[in-house]
Amino acid sequence: MLPNDIERLEVANEIRSSLANKDILTPVQARSFVRCLQTTWEVPTIRWGDNESLRQLDDARRLIHSAGIFRQIEGGSSTNALLCYRRAAELLEWLVRSNDLLRSTVPIELFAAGAYQLGGLPAMASSLLAQAEFRDNGSQLYASFLRADFDGVIRSVTAFWKVHPELRDHNATGRLLVDKDGDNISWYITVELVRSVGLIADSLRRGDDQRLERALAKLDALDRLTVRTFSDDTSMLIALLCGAAKEFRESSIYRPIFQLAQFSPSHRDRLYTFARGQFSRRRGILWSSQRQGLTKLLHESSFALCTPTGSGKTLVANLALVKELLLWEGEGPAPLALYIVPSRALAGEVEAKLSSELGEDLIITGLYGGTDWGVTDYWMTADRPTVLIATVEKADALMRFIGPVLALRLRLLIIDEAHQVVPEDSKNTLNAFADHTNRSIKLESLVSRLLMQSPTIARIALTAVAGGASSPVAKWIVGRDDAEAVETSDRSTRQLVGMLEASSTSGRILLDLMNGQPLAVLGRVEPVYIPLGAPVMPQLPPSMRNSIYCFTQLHVLWTALHLVNDNRRILISVVQQPEQTMGWYKKALEQDEWQDIVLFELPQEEGRLARFMETRAVCIDYCGTDSNEVFLLDRGIASNHGQMPQRLRRLMTSLIDSRICPITVATSTLTEGVNLPFDLIFLTSLKRRSFDPATGRVINSRLNISEFNNLAGRAGRPGYTKGMEGMTLVAVPQRPSSTAPVTIQTQQGQIREMQRDYANLMSELQVQEIEREDVSSPLALLMKAIAERVRDVFGFEGEDFLDWLEATTPVEISEDAGTGQGSDDARFADSVDELDSILLNALEEVSRVETRALDGADAEVFLTAVWQRTFTHVAAVQESWLEQAFIRRGRAVIEVIYPDADERKRLYQYGFSPCIGRRFERVVPDIRLRIGTAVAYGTMSTSERLAIFKSLGDIVSADRGFGFRVRATETDQNLLSNWPNVLTWWMKGEDVQGPVPSKLRFWQRFVVENLEFRLGVAIGAVVAYAWSEGAVDPSGVPSLVAWRETTGLPWFGFWVRELLRWGTLDPFVAFVLAQGMAHTRSEAAERRPEFEAWLISSYEAPEADDLIDPRLFLEWQRGLEQRAGLEAVYGPIEAELAGTTGQRGCYNVIPVKDESNVSWIDASGYELARSKVQTGQLGNREFRDDFELHVENGAVIVQQTSVEY
Amino acid sequence: MHTCPPPIDELNKWLDEYPTINGNYGHLLLEQKSESNSSLLDALRQYFESAHLDAREYFGATIGIDLHPDAEDEDDSTDARYPNCLPVTARRGLFGEVMTGLITESYKFVGDHNWVIPVFLFRNHYDVEKYLFDLARDSTQTRTVFGRLGSDFIGLSLGEDGSVVRIIVGEAKWRQRLIPSVIDDLLLGERNKKHVRSGGIWHNVNKDTKIPHGIRQLQRLLQECDPDGFSATILSMDKALLLRDSAPILRTDLVLIVGNDVPSRKKAYSLIPWEEIPPEYTAGNDLQVVEVILNDGEELIDAIYDSLWTEGDHNASE
Repeated sequence: MLPNDIERLEVANEIRSSLANKDILTPVQARSFVRCLQTTWEVPTIRWGDNESLRQLDDARRLIHSAGIFRQIEGGSSTNALLCYRRAAELLEWLVRSNDLLRSTVPIELFAAGAYQLGGLPAMASSLLAQAEFRDNGSQLYASFLRADFDGVIRSVTAFWKVHPELRDHNATGRLLVDKDGDNISWYITVELVRSVGLIADSLRRGDDQRLERALAKLDALDRLTVRTFSDDTSMLIALLCGAAKEFRESSIYRPIFQLAQFSPSHRDRLYTFARGQFSRRRGILWSSQRQGLTKLLHESSFALCTPTGSGKTLVANLALVKELLLWEGEGPAPLALYIVPSRALAGEVEAKLSSELGEDLIITGLYGGTDWGVTDYWMTADRPTVLIATVEKADALMRFIGPVLALRLRLLIIDEAHQVVPEDSKNTLNAFADHTNRSIKLESLVSRLLMQSPTIARIALTAVAGGASSPVAKWIVGRDDAEAVETSDRSTRQLVGMLEASSTSGRILLDLMNGQPLAVLGRVEPVYIPLGAPVMPQLPPSMRNSIYCFTQLHVLWTALHLVNDNRRILISVVQQPEQTMGWYKKALEQDEWQDIVLFELPQEEGRLARFMETRAVCIDYCGTDSNEVFLLDRGIASNHGQMPQRLRRLMTSLIDSRICPITVATSTLTEGVNLPFDLIFLTSLKRRSFDPATGRVINSRLNISEFNNLAGRAGRPGYTKGMEGMTLVAVPQRPSSTAPVTIQTQQGQIREMQRDYANLMSELQVQEIEREDVSSPLALLMKAIAERVRDVFGFEGEDFLDWLEATTPVEISEDAGTGQGSDDARFADSVDELDSILLNALEEVSRVETRALDGADAEVFLTAVWQRTFTHVAAVQESWLEQAFIRRGRAVIEVIYPDADERKRLYQYGFSPCIGRRFERVVPDIRLRIGTAVAYGTMSTSERLAIFKSLGDIVSADRGFGFRVRATETDQNLLSNWPNVLTWWMKGEDVQGPVPSKLRFWQRFVVENLEFRLGVAIGAVVAYAWSEGAVDPSGVPSLVAWRETTGLPWFGFWVRELLRWGTLDPFVAFVLAQGMAHTRSEAAERRPEFEAWLISSYEAPEADDLIDPRLFLEWQRGLEQRAGLEAVYGPIEAELAGTTGQRGCYNVIPVKDESNVSWIDASGYELARSKVQTGQLGNREFRDDFELHVENGAVIVQQTSVEY
Repeated sequence: MHTCPPPIDELNKWLDEYPTINGNYGHLLLEQKSESNSSLLDALRQYFESAHLDAREYFGATIGIDLHPDAEDEDDSTDARYPNCLPVTARRGLFGEVMTGLITESYKFVGDHNWVIPVFLFRNHYDVEKYLFDLARDSTQTRTVFGRLGSDFIGLSLGEDGSVVRIIVGEAKWRQRLIPSVIDDLLLGERNKKHVRSGGIWHNVNKDTKIPHGIRQLQRLLQECDPDGFSATILSMDKALLLRDSAPILRTDLVLIVGNDVPSRKKAYSLIPWEEIPPEYTAGNDLQVVEVILNDGEELIDAIYDSLWTEGDHNASE
């Protein structure tokens, strides 16, 4: 330290604490931020003077200066420096986005981007510059560089060298310096800057460290020179470019990749291509969270990565796959990774992303639920590294079905959103345990069993920072008490949370939280607010304004319609009853006053129009022409909810993802972990009302924090949205909308409640990030609930409780056990059954590995080991009775509750909790018989086919344990009693009267929950069991070839679940839809004659079962497939040297095209060779692809390497 | 660092001085009285080399890195050296800046402060923004100049503890013929098509910020060159640049005009009034005006710049 360093730090600290307090804005900063948001949202702005702009610019300069002091004295990683850079960047960003006039005299957007880069927020730099327009070539070049768009840099420098052929030879620099015309020094520095920046960009994306170092040295020298010779601002710009370049070097993905290559030199080329591909995707520069994650990945096989949504966790997961699967050099079967995701929608997203990056190296397959397997499960037989992406439920089913195969190949387990293992400590959770629908306990159970079975596999838990669960999650997943999660709190976008004041006057927005912390203004009590200035919503008719909820939701729609424009996407998130919201919206949009504000036009571009029209067709297919869904879609409002048929949901999601619909109305199922491009999310309520049939009471439950966080995390995804922040606003009415005195009074109460809910949410959001050690854990919660109930009902505690636990079956607790009854006793019994289910699964898997039946003593030993691997073991405050209870109940499962080993095996195979499984077993023969006799399904008439489904439905419809189950509402009860009608409508059996629009979702829900899920699961369990029973080798791999023989079932058995899923009676339709060969069910059906003609021409006298044979479907499809246009493979291009002797043998070059010539230049602008080329010979990706000049034995050629997207 | 002491004896032999100080206004007229002989040239060469040494080193470091892929690490594809390689107009500009330093260090100015120039900034590349942003040399576009060019010259007066107590901020101008209309154009700004004057030294000085642009850059140079020796100076610059309520650093404005004499001017006759502070100057700081009237300015400039480092790359102050 130098003599005055302490005092220098004090000075810098004074600036940091007064201007760059992490979550506190000064009043003028707050005003600047508000002005920026208002400009962004195109609403009238607050008053603002030029002097205020100058002052903000001055503050930004002072912050950058202070950051420099911190870096000098505290080191390059100084947190204080980061804070100063970030706030400086923010101040500048707000000026830029307010279209401040300063932009014309100071390159403030470039300063802002540079400060964001040095502040460790590259995504912010990129988002800001993506929006800016630059009039001059220089700004464009520096902007591309500062946003790490290296292809853009190459595009800019190529354009420069194209118009400056005189600068391309090696002596050009010398000539410039002896040129005594004008200011040759300025021009020299400019040219050298272009050389350096171009070479840095190219060397970064190619991973050429040697050239990179030289170019960085040059830029550094230019920086030192310009600080002596240029103006303050210009030298600051160059200093920022230089600083950013050094950051890029440190953050290049090549760094970890080359380290990884040291483990496996033979894969160096593939790893290099992977890194190059990341640069091509503009992801080659790692964010700090990724750097930390990758450092961990390089040194350890298992870890937890806890970073906020949108911080680039996926890349860490991808590299883990590369490390564990791609670099695999071992013997034995090809390795496999299991990637557990929280929702089926996310499985699709992860599958698409991984396929695009690693699809050529690995088999990547998303498994979307169910207990058996489908036509796409070819991975099982392939001897290639494989990634399975599955929900917990599907992974659990896989364990049952092909556990031994899985255990043999499994090498890596990735758990996305691993914090979901922490259950909410609430009554709802306990009910979900009893219903066997709680995901936390399923995740805990699955992972513990997997780790028991394959203790040496690599494990990675990915989680958003939530509920302070990172530490226990890390301990659990790593399996060591001292394990800590890799944590960062840096977000890639700014997250704002606040309130939309819904009132009959023009609304305004209050912002309460920024990045999870209160957004405070120094010395002011009121929050930051933004007047919206939208026209006042016309008065609603009495029927609508008499509901404050209706009024609030319509106010949201009204506001949204006024805020959308070409680039902006808004989500209106409803917590429940989306059909009611959609109905209200339709009704409002039919009013005269609302006609002119819907400005949606069909997309112009052909592909986008086709996508819209396809969605519309499918929407009509599944919802009907008169449905609210179609009405809203025609007005640019997409909809999405959990009960929507999967196919339609996916299409709607794709419309949203491709930004075709400006507004979306959806429930939270849309956004469970899925990235969608929303700038703004409105939440219309924070409460969910449900009806407890057991008590007959309405239960109001508040949206839980993790649900809210998940939703808010979807706002403002980098690279997607226009703004740099995602806003989540809760709509809260300000005064009654009704004019009737009695209703006014009711509404006043409702408003107070909504305001209270909002205030509670804000305070909960603020405490959530505090690290907690006492997070709840599923098994502990379940066992404590059981223990409390035993104490209350029987008075047993301690050893008495354990004795009770060892002896009592669920049926002894309640006769209604396993029948889905809501009484306290039945739920109590079902909770015990849930525990039994976990124990039985664990024990069965152990016995399968051991290939012998276990006795009680074995069970104790194994369960002790399983317990050690549970989340509860690491998370719960150690209460020894928990472990005791777990082990002793486990022993009892084997010795007392389910003593028959064969029965246990069957119960395990069915997949239900054992108590339900026992009852299910009674109907298994019946189901099997009905499937087994459907040999002629291929030639049956529609009504015959429907009759089979009805007969299957009959078997399960009356049972509330494994069969149909609905809510106690009148609508649902009616549906249950008329379920054959719903079945007929869904399967397109005959012309039946479908639902009216307002009832559509209830019908859809019945389909999803009962036909697709419950009936599907029951049938799937029978089919899977048939397979296991027929299979000779338990570790054998299922295949289509052996399916019919092994199961002894006709092909109908293979298809039945798919048919329920797609809503068709024809397996061919299901196949065509599953393979994406048709848009709608009718379109798919139209292709059947095509298949049948092929079948008849290919096979003599096909039988009924041949008409639905999946192998024949696949054969037909393969025949149809024509190889899509081969990717252009460019041959070597002959060249002659110019400007080099070729002494190095190989040079990286980029093409500069003049009419019929190409000049091959080094990225620093020096020409090295020339070629004559024909139009199109280089393709149209010359800025993206890599070219190499090879000089060997007198031959000179240029080779193009296509860089994967 | 600039370490060469000013050749005061040689200056005295070469120039006649007419100093006046009235309150906070100082005026110094310097008239060439003798030919620029070799001993003067040699003394000036050493001083100029010292002044240019820092920029020369960094310029050399930049040129020394040749980005051509065939270039070896030590390759240096050009013989060009700073400031020798500069075109004529640039040399004139730099001459004015170095002369400002030389005179500041050699003569008594208003306030009688002890001025030091630890390192010279040479920020006279006025076209740089145009080049850098348009990426074109012959651009016909006119653009608003980004950034703040700042003053031509900055000198420091340091307290006992090494902190900056006062700065001298200079505008230095070379003109070939020092006639009244040229002086008016310089001080009051040139006339546009409508014959209205705009800009000019007085305007620029009056509107300049309290802490001149360039202090940040000077501070960075001190940190690079001698962070230990200038530790207190650096700290005081931090305070001046960062803290709004810090004790203000006092400022002396300096206007130096150097050029060739014309027959119409009588001996000892100044071009800028010396009795009272010019009314156009309203900044309110101490003001020092210097007029350097030469007879053979251009020849001198060329002689100096042609001689720089002809004796090799040694430290001029040694």
